[in-house]
Order: sequence, then C-alpha cells, then structure tokens
Amino acid sequence: MKIHKLFQKTLFGIFLLFGLIGVSTSILCVYTVDTHLSNEYESNSKGIAKTIADASVDIILNRDLSALQSLIDQFVEIQGISYIYITNESGEFLAHTFVPGIPAEIRNGDPFNLETIERRLPGMGDFVEVSSPILASVAGAVHIGMDMGLITLKIQGAIGQQVYLISSIFIAGVLATIWFVSLVGRKIELLTAYAVRLARDRDEAIVAHDDLLVRDDEIGQLARLFRYFAEVMDDKKARRTSMTGLGGPDSGAMGLG
Amino acid sequence: MEIVLGMSAAFSGPSRGLGIELYRGAQAYFEHINRAGGVHGRKVVLKTYDDGYQPDPSVQNTMALMLEDQVFALFGYVGTPTVTRVLPMLKKFQDKTVYMFFPFTGAQPQREPPYGEFAFNLRASYGQETEGLVDNFVSIGKRRIGVFYQADAYGRSGWAGVRQALSKYGEKIVGEATYRRGQQFTGSMRRQVEILEESQPDAVICIGAYAACAAFLREAVDLGLEVPIANLSFVGSENLLELISEGREDSQRYTRLLVNSQVVPSYEDTSIPAVREYRDLMKRYSPEAPAELVKESYTPFAHSFVSLEGFLDAKLMVEILNRLGEDPQRTNLEDAVFSVKDYDLGIGEMVSFSESRRQGLQQVYYTIVQDDRFVTLDSWEDRFS
Repeated sequence: MKIHKLFQKTLFGIFLLFGLIGVSTSILCVYTVDTHLSNEYESNSKGIAKTIADASVDIILNRDLSALQSLIDQFVEIQGISYIYITNESGEFLAHTFVPGIPAEIRNGDPFNLETIERRLPGMGDFVEVSSPILASVAGAVHIGMDMGLITLKIQGAIGQQVYLISSIFIAGVLATIWFVSLVGRKIELLTAYAVRLARDRDEAIVAHDDLLVRDDEIGQLARLFRYFAEVMDDKKARRTSMTGLGGPDSGAMGLG
Repeated sequence: MEIVLGMSAAFSGPSRGLGIELYRGAQAYFEHINRAGGVHGRKVVLKTYDDGYQPDPSVQNTMALMLEDQVFALFGYVGTPTVTRVLPMLKKFQDKTVYMFFPFTGAQPQREPPYGEFAFNLRASYGQETEGLVDNFVSIGKRRIGVFYQADAYGRSGWAGVRQALSKYGEKIVGEATYRRGQQFTGSMRRQVEILEESQPDAVICIGAYAACAAFLREAVDLGLEVPIANLSFVGSENLLELISEGREDSQRYTRLLVNSQVVPSYEDTSIPAVREYRDLMKRYSPEAPAELVKESYTPFAHSFVSLEGFLDAKLMVEILNRLGEDPQRTNLEDAVFSVKDYDLGIGEMVSFSESRRQGLQQVYYTIVQDDRFVTLDSWEDRFS
C-alpha cells in the first residue's frame, strides 16, 4: 500500500500511540488478571477447605473415617483440586486422596502449618496448598492442593483472551486509520491531478473534474479556489496582453490603476 | 402378585464378579421359594441395575428403584463407595420407609448414626475382619503391618479398622499404599509394592477388589515381598484366585502366603446345613446373571463365598418377608426384622436383630489356598510362623 508522504509521520505517530496503548493495556491486563484469578483460586480453595473442615467435625468426632473419605472424594472431583488430606490434632493422616501413596514431601512436612504454601511434588507437579483448621485446630486440619499448572493454564487462557481482544482492536484501529488516510490521500491525488491539468488546459480540466468542483468539502473548496486562481491568472494575462497591444505593459498597468 | 426388591450392583467393569455372584446366590434361593409358591403366594422378584461399582450410577439407580419402580426394599447393594452415597437418599425419602437390606460391604456408615437406622446388615463388619486379621498376625509375632488399599471409602474403612486394631497393641500401620478404584489386573502395582517394601512389614493387609489385589499379589511375589498378604471378604476370593492362577503353572508360589478373611463359612464344608442347601440349589437352578446387564464376558463359579453370602442374604430376607404376613407393608418391615431372634440360618451362628443390633452375623472365618481352592485356615502358627 502506498503511503502518502504527507501522512507518513501522522501514520507513524498513530502506530506509536496505538502500540503504546496496546502494550500498556496488555501489561496492566496481564497483571490484573493474574493477580485477581490467583487470588480467586486461592480464596475458592480456602472456601472449599473450610467447607470440608466444617463438615468433618461430626464425622471425625464419630470416628467414621470412611464417611470422611467419601466426603473428600466428592470434593477432589472439582476441577483444579489435585489432592486433599486431613490430619488430626496429632498430625496423623486420617484421610487422603494420594495414589500410590502420600508423597514424602507431605509425609515429612508440617501438618500444623495453616499458611498457604507452594509445593513441588516430584512426579506430580507444582501445587498451591491451602489449609483450614477443624474445630479451631483441636480436631485437626484440612489441606487442599490446587494444581498450579492448571491454574497457570487458566490464567494464561484468560490473559490470552484479553490480549487477543486488545490486539484485535489495535489491528482494526490501524487498518481503519490507513483506510481513512488513503481515502483522504486519494482525494488529494485527484486534486493534484486537477491542478496539473488546470495548469495545462483549463477547459479540459474543468470538464474532466467537474465532480470535484461541486463537492462541498475542503477538496471542492480547494478545487474551486484553484479554478479561481487560474481564472484570475487568465484575466491578468489577458489584461497584460491587451495592455501590450495598447502600448506596452507598464503603460497598461498604469492605465488600469 | 410380587414383592419387588431393588438391587444396584457391579455387573460391569473389573469388579463385576462381585455383583454377578451375589445376585446368583440370592437368585438361587428366591427361585427356590418362588417355585414353591412364593412368600404367602407372592413371588419375590429382584429388579436389578448395573452401577459398575461407581457411586454416581448407584445414586441414579436408587432414585429409579425408589421413585419409578417403587420397590418394596433395597437388597444386595455392592460396595462401600456406592452404599455410602446412597444412604443419604434413604434419609431424604424416609417418609417412604425404604430400607436397605444386607449390603455387600462391611463399612461403618450403614451400621451407625445418622444412617444406620435405614439399613440392616447380615455380614460382619470390616472392623471385625481387620481386627481378626491383626489379632492373629500379632499372635504369631507379626506386629509390623502394612496396608494396601483402594483410595476411597471402602479402603479407608478397612484402613481405619487396621489402625484401630493395631492401637490395642500400641502399634501403628508401618506403611501404606493405595490404588484407584477400577484398577485392572493387567495394571502395574510395582510402585505400591516398593512403597510397602520400604516400610519392611511383617504382613500386608489388602483392602480392595479382586483385580487390583491380584495384581498387587503378583507384583509383591515377583518383587520378593515375602510376607503374608491378607485380603478382606469383599475381595471376591475365587475371582482373585482365578486371575492369579490363570496361565501359571507355579500359581502356588503366589498363593503360598495368601490368607483371606471371610464372613461366611467355607462352601466346601458340607457338614454345614446351609452350605448343603446352597450347593443343592445352586446346582438345581444354575442361576444366571441378568443378560441385559452383563455385557462383558464372565464365567460364573459353581460355588463362591460371594454367592454363598447372597444365598444367606436371600434366605434371611425371605424369613423377614414371611413375618410380614399376607399383606406386607413397608412400614411393618422394621418390626419384622426386630422380631428375628436367635434365628438359625443353618451356618451354626444364630441371627438376632434389635434396635441396637442391626447386624445379624458377627463371625469371621479365615481361609488359605490349598490345591487351588480356598480352605479354612486351621493354624496361623503353622502356616505363617
């Protein structure tokens, strides 16, 4: 596509501006989505951990561990939850969802730690582990491992959608700008052609570009102005010629004045 | 005129042998009663659904049985993860007074509040089975017990039983490994065996279904874990033996240290009247699993612990239905069950029920493999010391 010299700087400026807006919006969006979704996942996990902890009290006090296992088996079906384990007040594992066994990192970990932690379990992946106390920790704690890989994938998906939207707007904006500029450029081209033709053959130019002269925009005004200047020039030229016939240009000019 | 009982069990998948055999045993007795005129002139019919030993289908089947089929009672459900999910439905629809009779599971939820009041059990519990196994292992000096279990409510139930039994001796489970429900015999159990091997157990108690437990037994022996390996009654002993023996000339190598607890006596012991009756009726009627439910190939056993249990379940069920009289009402079922006192099922142990006793049998039997069949274990000392 031919870019008119007149608009090269303008277009470059627009690209730069759009690019700047796109990049800064994307960075802000990535940060916001990442932070919000991470917090939301953590908060949801804590909510689930608390739900299990609340529901576990009676079951643990009734010492029915099969019902406890049944409870956590239902929660582990929720997407993103990779494992759940419940420890008692002594740190002993009462129920869990690990296969083929409790990973050494968790077996040897601190079951009383209720802070949110990040874990890397060999052969399983990376996890965010949230915990909730059961009966203010006197009956133990529920620990839930969220798959960081899946969370990251979800966040990346959400960010991807945002960036995709911003990029689409950016590209559409740039294309629209180029289109608008080329529209203006085409009219300027016509005006230029008209001016050139006017300089060569006035009548032919007026006939060939009469559409320009009837326009009510700036192009039409300029075309009419060119024609006016040309007519003024013609008048001057005619007068100068007649003056020359009367006795030379100086005397003619003086005579008109 | 019929009395329709609803049964949701595994008729497909790697545990289908359990549902099929339980059904066959029960059907042998129901068929016998129906041919003799039924219960007060009413035939006893089993309405069956397949749940593949999975909780969600089991819940759906129960909805259909209770609300669409409007069965008289639920009977012969198979499995802890399935039954534990169905029990809350019985409470939800308690105004319909639908009771669950004799589920094929020894777990606690249907034996205790808040759901115990909606179920009646015949078999001994997993707590009793695991306690018996632990007591016997400890008695021969094997105090370091490892547990291999199914990662669900059933496995946890057995695990809890072992843990509690060991606590009597001041011991803890020394190592544990799990597997996912639905594991096939062809799957590898190497990692599970390695995990347990690290804990150096004196014995391993398995709480699983036959396909997974047979796979574990195979890998354990192949990897040199030379300790007694015990299974609970739910395993389906004959199915396990069939898998471990199939195509092997040295199957004795794999079963040498195997011991299975049972909740019914040996079907080989024909001195027991109920066993003679069971063998006679199984031979006479050759019951088959519902053709519409069995999609995978399965060769039934002439006799098995599971079908014997189904047979005894049916026998007691018929006795209870008899006690309801000529106009059986669901609302009278509980009273009919509680009227069963010192009832002789024919296995030497009297059956009684009451408000506080919702389990008919208490006895646990131990069996080992001899000449490619399960026989009663006489001496733990001689076999495992």
